[in-house]
Amino acid sequence: MSVIELSNVVKRYRSGEEVVEALKGVDFHAERGEMVLVTGPSGSGKSTMLNVIGLLDSPTEGAVRLDGRPVTDFSEDELTEERRSGIGFVFQAFHLLPMLTATENVELPSMWDTSVDRRDRAVDLLDRVGLGDRRTHTPDRLSGGQQQRVAIARALINEPDILLADEPTGNLDQETGRTILEEMTRLKAEENIAIVAVTHDDQMAAYADRVVEIVDGVIQ
Amino acid sequence: MDVSDGLRRFPSALMAWRNLGRNHVRTGLAALGIVIGVVAIASLGIAGVAIQQQATADLGGLADEVTVSAGQASTEDGVTDDQVAEIESIVTDARVVPQKTNETEISSREGDAYVSVTGVTEASALYDVSSGEAPDRLQSGALITNSTAQELGLELGDPVTYNGQIYRIRGFIAADDGFGPGGGRGELVIPLSGLREQQYYDTVTVVAEDGDAATAIAARLDEHFNTDGRETEEELRIRSFGGAQENINSFMNTLQLALLGIGSISLIVASVAILNVMLMSTIERRGEIGVLRAVGIRRGEVLRMILTEAAFLGVLGGLLGALGSLAVGLVIFGVLTGNPMAAFGWESSRYLLYGFAFAVVTSLLSGVYPAWKAANDRPVEALRG
Repeated sequence: MSVIELSNVVKRYRSGEEVVEALKGVDFHAERGEMVLVTGPSGSGKSTMLNVIGLLDSPTEGAVRLDGRPVTDFSEDELTEERRSGIGFVFQAFHLLPMLTATENVELPSMWDTSVDRRDRAVDLLDRVGLGDRRTHTPDRLSGGQQQRVAIARALINEPDILLADEPTGNLDQETGRTILEEMTRLKAEENIAIVAVTHDDQMAAYADRVVEIVDGVIQ
Repeated sequence: MDVSDGLRRFPSALMAWRNLGRNHVRTGLAALGIVIGVVAIASLGIAGVAIQQQATADLGGLADEVTVSAGQASTEDGVTDDQVAEIESIVTDARVVPQKTNETEISSREGDAYVSVTGVTEASALYDVSSGEAPDRLQSGALITNSTAQELGLELGDPVTYNGQIYRIRGFIAADDGFGPGGGRGELVIPLSGLREQQYYDTVTVVAEDGDAATAIAARLDEHFNTDGRETEEELRIRSFGGAQENINSFMNTLQLALLGIGSISLIVASVAILNVMLMSTIERRGEIGVLRAVGIRRGEVLRMILTEAAFLGVLGGLLGALGSLAVGLVIFGVLTGNPMAAFGWESSRYLLYGFAFAVVTSLLSGVYPAWKAANDRPVEALRG
């Protein structure tokens, strides 16, 4: 069963007077253990698609299923729970919290769950992305590549099924970008998760199991 | 090991603590606003208490006393022995102290002083002495006002002369006892026998338990002696200051409210400042809060985090403000009553507590809107910054 599935998803939103149709009936799915790349020109609707997959945005029409469960009509609070337990996010600009150490940033998604202590998993994940010696560093003392590794560890803290990456190498040089992609490929297998990444980065295709191109809100 | 490690079990507190630590200047200025508000409200309250205590002290024991003198309708030049006996029969629950008064000039090697002379037997009922003694029954010797004694260089045991009679000083009267008959002048207190050529008593003082008892006794006496209660028919003039005490208290309460009102305005200004600071900081952190929401932090958790920030500001500002107010209170009490330590009394120190509580509550209230706004921002829009 697909870990995430979009069927005939339409997303329309208002932009001033106009109604923009960003997604025009998209069918999409991803399986555990595969990395799917979403490419396309800017304005093609790939970010909107990623937001729908990440349960940050609800489709106007169509259905979204997680592990076969329909989540289309979930309330904001229910969607929050799904994101917390099932989805990890990696952003282009890393988006670490500047006042937290590397370990605390990794723990962030589980920080309010005082019933479980994720400190050990956080330390383990930092070790696995090669930052075992940077645990108490705040983001301003980490390089871009190191920050993105912390962000990947944060995305994995709650043992999600899906990792969503929006231009994960966009703010990094080519060399660093490649190490990040290698890291993601390795973790994808180790954690048996689906990775869906939106990118412009041509070198990423080499690491992908599948590439999906979207143009004008339609998958080609 | 720092504060944060202890806060790990309280994630909202941990995040709030770190967020406040990010911009010390802004946090400091926001707290300063509260400090000023708390100092304003607490020290004005304390000032009111100090003024009230000083006013009560200035009234002295007078509030508890009823003073009886000859009325306009009296045919005699004073209160007669018969009338004193009548008063004593009516007032059984308080001490009745008849006095005769005069004026004289006393002199010593150091100079002269004009004093009022009071002849009284039960000296201890009316006078407090700073040194020496005030006998229950003054049969010989004299008491003299401390300041007059100092002026004339008189010491305990020194003689003073009145009407050809020599009296040895037995005690110094502590302070000017309210608006005494001397009117700020020094006072010489001698046995009643020293004024025996004056047939009648000039005043009779009834010393009651408290202001209320004094008012009741005055009413009873007035009813007995001045049946129609009209000024022209007044046989005895009966005055009590119990009413004055009440007036002062009621005036003080009004003054207190006015002072607290002024203080609250500054705290409201401070809370608007906090509202502004919290709003600015949540708007600045909009993207960050979007990340929090994206990675699965619940709306209630974001709300708690921001409210905790506001509460920390309130507690911080409230504590510093209470400390500052205590310092101000010590100065106020020192200046107004001469006893700075009285600021620690519950009467005044409770304003420190009120100020602190007010600070925390207004800070929390100021945090509600920014917290609600941040928590309910749609994550997909917040992420765009």
